[in-house]
Amino acid sequence: MSAYAKPLPRPDDAANAPHWAAARRGELSFQCCTDCGRFRFPAAPICPACRSRHAEWKRAPRRGVVESFGRFHKAYWPGFAAELPYLVVLVRLDCGLRMYSNLVGEAGQTARIGMPVEAVFEAVTPEVSLVRFRVAKA
Amino acid sequence: MTRRVALVGIGNTPYGQLPGHDACSLGLWALDNALKDCGLAYEDVDGLILNRIADYQRFASACSIDPAYTLATPAHGRFSAICIQTAAAAIQAGLAETIALVYGNDGRSAGVRYAGDSAPYDSDAGGLWFPYGMTSPGAYHALMAQQHMHRYGTTQAHLGAVASTFRHHASLNPEAVMRTPFTVDEYLRSPFICEPLRRLDHCLINDGGVALIMTSVERALDLPQVPVHLRGHGQASAFSASDFPPEDLWRGAMQRAGRRSYAMAGATPADMCGLMIYDNFTPTVLFSLEGFGYCEPGESGPWVEQGHLSLAGRYPANTSGGHLSESYMQGWNLHLEAARQIRGQAGDRQIADASLVHVMAAAPVVSSIIYGREPA
Repeated sequence: MSAYAKPLPRPDDAANAPHWAAARRGELSFQCCTDCGRFRFPAAPICPACRSRHAEWKRAPRRGVVESFGRFHKAYWPGFAAELPYLVVLVRLDCGLRMYSNLVGEAGQTARIGMPVEAVFEAVTPEVSLVRFRVAKA
Repeated sequence: MTRRVALVGIGNTPYGQLPGHDACSLGLWALDNALKDCGLAYEDVDGLILNRIADYQRFASACSIDPAYTLATPAHGRFSAICIQTAAAAIQAGLAETIALVYGNDGRSAGVRYAGDSAPYDSDAGGLWFPYGMTSPGAYHALMAQQHMHRYGTTQAHLGAVASTFRHHASLNPEAVMRTPFTVDEYLRSPFICEPLRRLDHCLINDGGVALIMTSVERALDLPQVPVHLRGHGQASAFSASDFPPEDLWRGAMQRAGRRSYAMAGATPADMCGLMIYDNFTPTVLFSLEGFGYCEPGESGPWVEQGHLSLAGRYPANTSGGHLSESYMQGWNLHLEAARQIRGQAGDRQIADASLVHVMAAAPVVSSIIYGREPA
């Protein structure tokens, strides 16, 4: 069995570790301002909306919408070479956050701006799960 | 009354593969050419603004100048115009009389990549999105292009019109790195990098240096070249959530920066004789035309297809070939070409009666610089 050859979340990224730990548990979790309730990711020292320094990690709803996408025909890492071309989507989650990710499943070979999606969790190594998206019902 | 300033000296190195030179060496070479261009001595330079030459101390030591004003700026293209504005403000504030603005880039020989593990840009969020294969400003702009296509029906052929127009201009420029013209059909058959953008939609990483000398208009009148008057400038930004494509494609910031520069210059887009549009990627050109008021939102694709950006058109743009075909000198070669056009030194690609040239850049920092052949 070959080792996972794609980039992984940085092990020294302590600030965002709770997001990846939650993904490992099958949960979508982000830093959330305790004063105004706004989610943010990556983790940051203050809330960009109200500048509060008070935050906690909180579960977010898994649904969102595709806002854009691009199809990579060039492998910037050798681990992606076998899958060229591969799709990256920009998802706007219902909680207001955006994130980059990929689509899963047969329906995930094409993307459409406005496509409703739902987060799923894919274990790529015994220690790491990634947050990917499947096409959801409208 | 604000003291007026002008560019009086311009200089550059060849562009391409220049092994054996680092950014400092390329900057020194360009500065030497700029000083020869205006007949000034190193001793006449009392202000130094560097871009992408991190070791400003080594630079100044190497050419034995001790400026009264020194500034080093980061290696982001948005800083070329910021440096121009800052030089003007420093001269107007009396901090220096004659400022050398110097840029050096050894990216090609140094093997710089803007993507993957060696990406220098902070916009890659410390590698946060690498597990999903997301990286590079090229992909970021590809996602923006995708949105523009979805919203307005912009096509890949519209992007190809930008690329092929600037390549045609480069074919008239002996200094351009890529000079072989291509048709839009050839463009459409060329390989993708991050679809919908192709290699031909991306600027060219190259080695090179550019230097500009700015001084007061009073001093400029004693020097041999036609002064390139700084007639207007404006800056704005859109930093919020800038890890992700801006929902308005930077239009709001462009309107703010544009308005300031037009008001200062007493001019509107209709007065411009030539455009230098920051073309890191072809879609940026489309967004800029809309944001700075050359055409209506969403209409830039068909507008470009009508030929308005070509030398024979209403708004000749990126007449040296720009970043897409001349070389990616992070804005500096666009300011250089603007100066050449104003002076009447653009050779086969000269715009007839180029009295006002607009240099614009759209990014999380937006800038708008207007040069003129006449003083205000």
